[in-house]
Amino acid sequence: MTPGSPADPPSRVDGAILRRTGLLVAGAVFVLWAVASLTFFAIRLIPGDPAQAILGGPGSQASQEALDQVRRDYGLDQPLLVQYLAMLGRLITGDLGTSYALKVPVAELLGAQLGATLLLATLALALAWLLALGLAIWSTGRGRVASALGEGIEITAAALPHFWLAAVLIAVFSTALGWLPPVATGTPSGLVLPVVTLAVPLAGFLAQVMRESLLDTMQQPFVVSARARGESALGVRLRHTIRHAALPAISLSGWALGWLLSGAVVVETIFAMPGLGRTLLQAVTLRDIPVVTGVVLLVALVYVLMTVLTDVVSRVADPRLRQEGAR
Amino acid sequence: MPAAPVTSSPNLRRLGIAAVAVVSTIALAACQAPAPEASGEPVSGGTLVYASGDAEPTCLDPHVGGNYPQALLAGQFLESLVSRDETGEIIPWLAESWTASDDGLSWEFTLRDDVAFTDGTPLDAEAVKVNVEHLKDPATQSSTGYLALGKVDHVEVVDDLVARFVMSAPDSALLESLTQPWNAIQSPAGIARGMDENCQAPIGTGPFIVDEWVKQDHVSLVRNDDYTSPPADAAHEGPAYLEAIDWRFVPDSASRYAALQAGQVDVIDNPQPDTISAAKSNDALVWLDAPRPGAANRIELNSGQAPFDDERVREAFIRAVEVDEGIDTLFFGTAERSYSPLSSVESVAYSDEKLFAPDLDRANELLDEAGWSERDADGYRVRDGARLTLRFPVSTNQSIPAEQSLFEQVQATAKAAGFEVVIELLDLSGWYGALAAHEYEIVSAPYTKVGPDVLRILYHSDSITPAPSGYFANLSQLNDPGVDALLAEAASTSDPEARAASYNEAQRLILGGYYLLPLYDQQNSFLMSTSVQGARALPTVSTPTFYDSWLAG
Repeated sequence: MTPGSPADPPSRVDGAILRRTGLLVAGAVFVLWAVASLTFFAIRLIPGDPAQAILGGPGSQASQEALDQVRRDYGLDQPLLVQYLAMLGRLITGDLGTSYALKVPVAELLGAQLGATLLLATLALALAWLLALGLAIWSTGRGRVASALGEGIEITAAALPHFWLAAVLIAVFSTALGWLPPVATGTPSGLVLPVVTLAVPLAGFLAQVMRESLLDTMQQPFVVSARARGESALGVRLRHTIRHAALPAISLSGWALGWLLSGAVVVETIFAMPGLGRTLLQAVTLRDIPVVTGVVLLVALVYVLMTVLTDVVSRVADPRLRQEGAR
Repeated sequence: MPAAPVTSSPNLRRLGIAAVAVVSTIALAACQAPAPEASGEPVSGGTLVYASGDAEPTCLDPHVGGNYPQALLAGQFLESLVSRDETGEIIPWLAESWTASDDGLSWEFTLRDDVAFTDGTPLDAEAVKVNVEHLKDPATQSSTGYLALGKVDHVEVVDDLVARFVMSAPDSALLESLTQPWNAIQSPAGIARGMDENCQAPIGTGPFIVDEWVKQDHVSLVRNDDYTSPPADAAHEGPAYLEAIDWRFVPDSASRYAALQAGQVDVIDNPQPDTISAAKSNDALVWLDAPRPGAANRIELNSGQAPFDDERVREAFIRAVEVDEGIDTLFFGTAERSYSPLSSVESVAYSDEKLFAPDLDRANELLDEAGWSERDADGYRVRDGARLTLRFPVSTNQSIPAEQSLFEQVQATAKAAGFEVVIELLDLSGWYGALAAHEYEIVSAPYTKVGPDVLRILYHSDSITPAPSGYFANLSQLNDPGVDALLAEAASTSDPEARAASYNEAQRLILGGYYLLPLYDQQNSFLMSTSVQGARALPTVSTPTFYDSWLAG
């Protein structure tokens, strides 16, 4: 499988790692290029003139001179292919351009919003994991009723739309009980409802996957032998089967973070929180192409990084994967 | 009557106002809820939290572009040369008096001598000149403020406190235009910082100062302790009572209302009709109803192309659709039906209810006469094989859900007469695109402007010619030399009575030609906690002012 000579095992391993890393980097670059290109062309399919977006947005009554000036300044009078290559050239040097509407560098704009959204998404992911694990462990191997109940909760949770869940949570915990603020204002208490809104449907997805593999694992001989050694049912779950149950959920977490970032568009709007989701929504409305491209690229980058990370974490959690390279 | 110089002398102005009032057919403020009665002694201090549902501005300087979200905020820290009171009378603000030459080609404004911008720059005639130049400079990218100064050629500094506006043509709407926040006066030193910096925190003479703008979160406004220049209709003098305003952007209307109920915010804007209805039965909340000036919300019929180039088809549509019940139920009694092209806050608004009485038989008759006598299998009328289809692009940014539902009722009732109404929900860019391409037969487009001159913008044939962006304001494509002449006359006369008469006749012609279906005033509401005392909407563009406000107990 590997080209190195059998007489030289260490370099063979190094080569495999190098190859793997090289493939990952090449893959990441390809994904980012594809995303940038797709965004560039897709955004030109929707109606709206970028020069107008720069001069005060849709319906602006800018003069012909002003429009011409802007088209020259931003290179919008160039053929599409030239504009596309210019954009790629800028991206290679790490320049995301300047926002049409806000007239500030996109990198600066996104940098200011990235932290808030990452915090929201990370907390939601962590909570979703806790909820999913708890539910999966509680509901498996406890007979038909618990299993059906667990399954029902998972499916319901996974099907909850964010906007509806947010409205219900606000009605219950803010308006009726008065425990939590309905609108986030930068305080920790303001984060609770948005995080729960994002976490509950995700927990539904994760728990479904976890319970499936938990059930599989419970049938394995090593579980029977552990029980035979005198381990309690809970002990077996916590010490032996969690690891197996977690594996598919770990690889899902890369997908989950991307899913959370798209959920952030809704949640940030409802709870009036700053963040990438709201930035994206505003940028699409204003036809602010550099910002839309920037957000999409950033999300793609996070996605790629998460995929790499889940790959690594899976190897840590599952020794079988680690041995594969050296086999 | 010879062209009389317009001054701020109360007697002369009252005479003019009285004349206007006689002609007007809609009692002013009839639909406007009175501002909540202030009770108790004003208390100094405290921070008012305001939650805005309007789009967050991309620039806080209302000279740049010029939309309503900018006006909402700018009203807290920028001020205009003149203002307008509840009766529609122009009143002093930064200018204490003004006179116009007999030919209307020169206006002199005398400024107050005790006003300084919050950066310390004194307010003088030079500052006024710099502001007008800033608005007229293409680099500023002004749209609303620029259009309002269309007939101002330039400003001359007569002396320190007297600025002369030199006009290229007489403009009876000049004072009304100058009341608008999009034409507010900023510190020349602030403007000189350049657009990027001035957009972040414009410097004015207002009761509050922009302290910080955290994008997508809030704008902090702090009290201007040296404030001296309230408009003539303010309730007190000196600095504001409130120490600060925390202006938050909360786009979701349900969240805004929840935050108000939870006491997290003190004031919200853009409440939905069902929310207003709920709030009315809540003793802890107050509803401030402040319809916007300018045009009423209305459905325009595109007379520039078939089938509405035929007046019979236009009348048939207007007779066929029924909106009264829809307005009642969908708006929970918060919106009153209008029969005028103008907002009820405009004293010269002319109404004619009988033109809009639904009459399905008459509609059918008219369509038969116009050659649309056959119907297809779906019940829609056809002529020469073509269906009687009306494309209706609807802007989801500008039409609230209740209005979108009302349009569905328009669609349903028009079907009885054989019209096929095709509603297309579009975002702002797509909507402007459809209009620019003339891909519409009916459309609803709000237009906010102080004074009846909005009629010239919406119905003069000049407004059919598109701007370079494709935008044009005369969406009914009304092209009537008689209307043009009346609107031009009204715009250039300095006699208030003649002006009102011309506007009246123009509105009679516009309504009589079945070019539009008036719906209601452009809705503009605020919900406030009862602890907010002394807040009101400025009678200019109905933005709220918190200068006289305080927070009780």
